[in-house]
Amino acid sequence: MNAPLIPIARQIVLIPLVALASYGLMVALPLSLGDESKRQLSPDLVASYRRDLGIGEPLGFLRPWQKLLQGKRLGTSSQGVTGEELLTKLASSMAVGLVAVALALCWAFAYALLRWSVPRARWTAIGELVPALAFGTPVFIPALLLAPHAVEAGHFLPELSAALVISVWPGIFLGTLGADSFKTELARDYVRAARSKGLSQRRVLYRHVLPNVVPTLLDSIPPVATALLAGSFAAERVLGLPYFGQLYVLAVLQKQIAVVVVATTLFATVLVVVRLIVGLARWLVDPRAREPIPSEAAP
Amino acid sequence: MTRQLSGPARFLLVGAALLVLLWALSFALAVLWPSPLARLCPLGRDLLRPDTSVCELAFGGLWISLSVGLLAGAAATITGLGVASVARLFGGWVESALMRSADALFALPDVLVLMVLQFAAQTAGDLHPRLRISAVLLMILSLAMVGWAAPARLFRDRLETLERAEFVGAARALGAGRWHLLSRHLWPFLRDYGLAIFLSRVPAAILAESTISFLGIGKIEPMSLGRYLGTSYASLLYGEGARIVVPAWVLLILIVLGTSLAGRGASAVARH
Repeated sequence: MNAPLIPIARQIVLIPLVALASYGLMVALPLSLGDESKRQLSPDLVASYRRDLGIGEPLGFLRPWQKLLQGKRLGTSSQGVTGEELLTKLASSMAVGLVAVALALCWAFAYALLRWSVPRARWTAIGELVPALAFGTPVFIPALLLAPHAVEAGHFLPELSAALVISVWPGIFLGTLGADSFKTELARDYVRAARSKGLSQRRVLYRHVLPNVVPTLLDSIPPVATALLAGSFAAERVLGLPYFGQLYVLAVLQKQIAVVVVATTLFATVLVVVRLIVGLARWLVDPRAREPIPSEAAP
Repeated sequence: MTRQLSGPARFLLVGAALLVLLWALSFALAVLWPSPLARLCPLGRDLLRPDTSVCELAFGGLWISLSVGLLAGAAATITGLGVASVARLFGGWVESALMRSADALFALPDVLVLMVLQFAAQTAGDLHPRLRISAVLLMILSLAMVGWAAPARLFRDRLETLERAEFVGAARALGAGRWHLLSRHLWPFLRDYGLAIFLSRVPAAILAESTISFLGIGKIEPMSLGRYLGTSYASLLYGEGARIVVPAWVLLILIVLGTSLAGRGASAVARH
């Protein structure tokens, strides 16, 4: 297979894989075991699980998607969701995520500047503490601290607060990666050679260093997107935003089996699309991405 | 005569000492001698549990969170090592399939997969009581099932690099089989590396557990740090939230700082 097609195929296959794995996990639940008396779930609820998952029907695994496409409510009660609502919630979560990306870039720029300006001797302590502070802070903690001031205020302040709290770790991650990549590239021989030939610092940076740093930064986008979407679960729950993250958490808490299956697949699809866009960008800007991939299991 | 410790060894020692101190202190103050914490806590009483001080709940949660994180980190590292060893032993399609499944797990956030696993296991327990397992064991198992992918990928790449070394070539030339190579010649090189990987998994496990417990999905008893904050969450939005949230936050940062320092030291030791 062509070099660029292999990673694309590997990514796309994840969507049906996640759909089937999440569906298979739910179908494997003992929905048909006897001894009804010991169950903590009512027979009606179990029957609705079976109905929603299309158990016993031909092509039953398509049942939740069929319901969504027909505009029916997915789920066991009024707590369920229609396809339109699901997409609106996903779009809202992604809008918050996009604001978070902008904020993460601000954090990254500020942190990279800090790394450049602080002398190396003093850096060790800050270099340990700042990432520990960013990574060691689960999203729900700053969300809890901001919530009393943001939830009642309205005017998109809860959305902005959610974007702010989920942007911290990705920002520090991008800042660390960017600063380290620039430092590594600037220490290479080709930079010294370019400078010795009389090229200005600006030209060396834009023409030679930046093209080598961009692929590293592009590679960091998928984990950043994953972190932003994962952060939305806690941020939306604490800040009372009725979007996709909150929907997912409530679906798990209220045991809405079909909603969990569909939402997990949609979540994976968003991440796969991000990875495909990054892969395409990488293929365009980095010639190394166009080279054939060696077989993993080669001796 | 005193021996000067190298930089990486010092990092490893300081980080490990911080972790041991946090665990021992929280276990002692929360389990063995709780009365001083109850009497002398400067942060006052909890909003929902007026008979318990904030310090008791925070240190009690720290002990549980740290224990769950250490056990889950160890389980994930051992599973990853096992998967990587099997992948390198068999090679071919077995290796490809195992590494592709590790990549598939990478594509989804830990918290999402954890929620699905907890949901499935809890629903199975509700449907059939014989399938119910304790919340702590369920959390450790699900964290290990989520966390094995990164160690597996790292161990597999390390093994592949080691297999190109001259001493491995020599052993092969003398007739050593794959299992002999792995058990006698390669595993000794993985010990320090494995420690570094384990230390990198611990904070990830603790933070994932905190988030899941905070959201009310993980139901660990006695309460972990995340579950403690999650149960008080409604009151924190209106009451004196910072007094309760900040101590738990500081303890989580100390855990991450300890594992980060120790992990950095262990990585440097492994490289040398």
